[in-house]
Amino acid sequence: MAAGFVGFEITWRADVFTGAPQASSAANFGTLGMNFRARKPHTQQEWLAAVSDSSDTSFCPVTPAQTEI
Amino acid sequence: MKNSGQAHDQVSVVAVEELRQAIRDEYAAVARSPEQGFHFHTGRPLAGMLGYDATWLDGIPEDTLSSFAGTGNPFRMGALLPGEHVVDVGCGAGLDSLIAAQMVGAEGHVIGVDMTPAMLAIARASASETASANVTFHEGYAEALPVVDGWADVVISNGVLNLVPDKAAALAEMARVLRPGGRLQIGDILVQRPVPESAKRKIDLWTG
Repeated sequence: MAAGFVGFEITWRADVFTGAPQASSAANFGTLGMNFRARKPHTQQEWLAAVSDSSDTSFCPVTPAQTEI
Repeated sequence: MKNSGQAHDQVSVVAVEELRQAIRDEYAAVARSPEQGFHFHTGRPLAGMLGYDATWLDGIPEDTLSSFAGTGNPFRMGALLPGEHVVDVGCGAGLDSLIAAQMVGAEGHVIGVDMTPAMLAIARASASETASANVTFHEGYAEALPVVDGWADVVISNGVLNLVPDKAAALAEMARVLRPGGRLQIGDILVQRPVPESAKRKIDLWTG
């Protein structure tokens, strides 16, 4: 079974660096803090269904060389 | 999150051991002198900014709380249930691990993993001080978690994935240790503008 997650969702994002004691490079890249959640599929069938549904953008394969945060 | 080969590309653009040592040095400094001020917020003020309930922080030893340097709040995405098994990837001084230990109770268990010995020393001392028998801390990397397959109901992490050179390997490890249907609840960072390749090679930009 390929490694991966389903139900990926960013639930919160906010500027968590402004006002820090030392200057940060974070602002140069528009860096935000965030929360995200996802779930390991219950079965291989659930995983394959998520991968094959082109309208579903909430699955995240993590087989080699495919995923970046 | 997007699909690309960039995570593995990042492994090749930075010297992994040099990066890890720079991160260890940075977070050992946080552990030793959290009051000195860093390029990120720390401690109780940061926990408030990230929406941690004050009740979660009750009884947390000050050394653990003051060394907290997360970028999100894994507990805002769903409760941890009594009896659950939790892995905290990059647990630092143990704030999230100790909160999770309270949530899962005596029937649950939390494994905190971190690569910085100075942070682990604080985490272990705080677990002892709070008599938290259901949490253990282990030295290790996100890309090679010292946890058996399928053990965890939930994997949490906070401000760590962005510091991991091989993000695909870290996520694959998280998937490995989760049981089928297990949850990932992560606080981290996102960038709204592209990071140039030249910047990715600057280790001081990874840590600051």
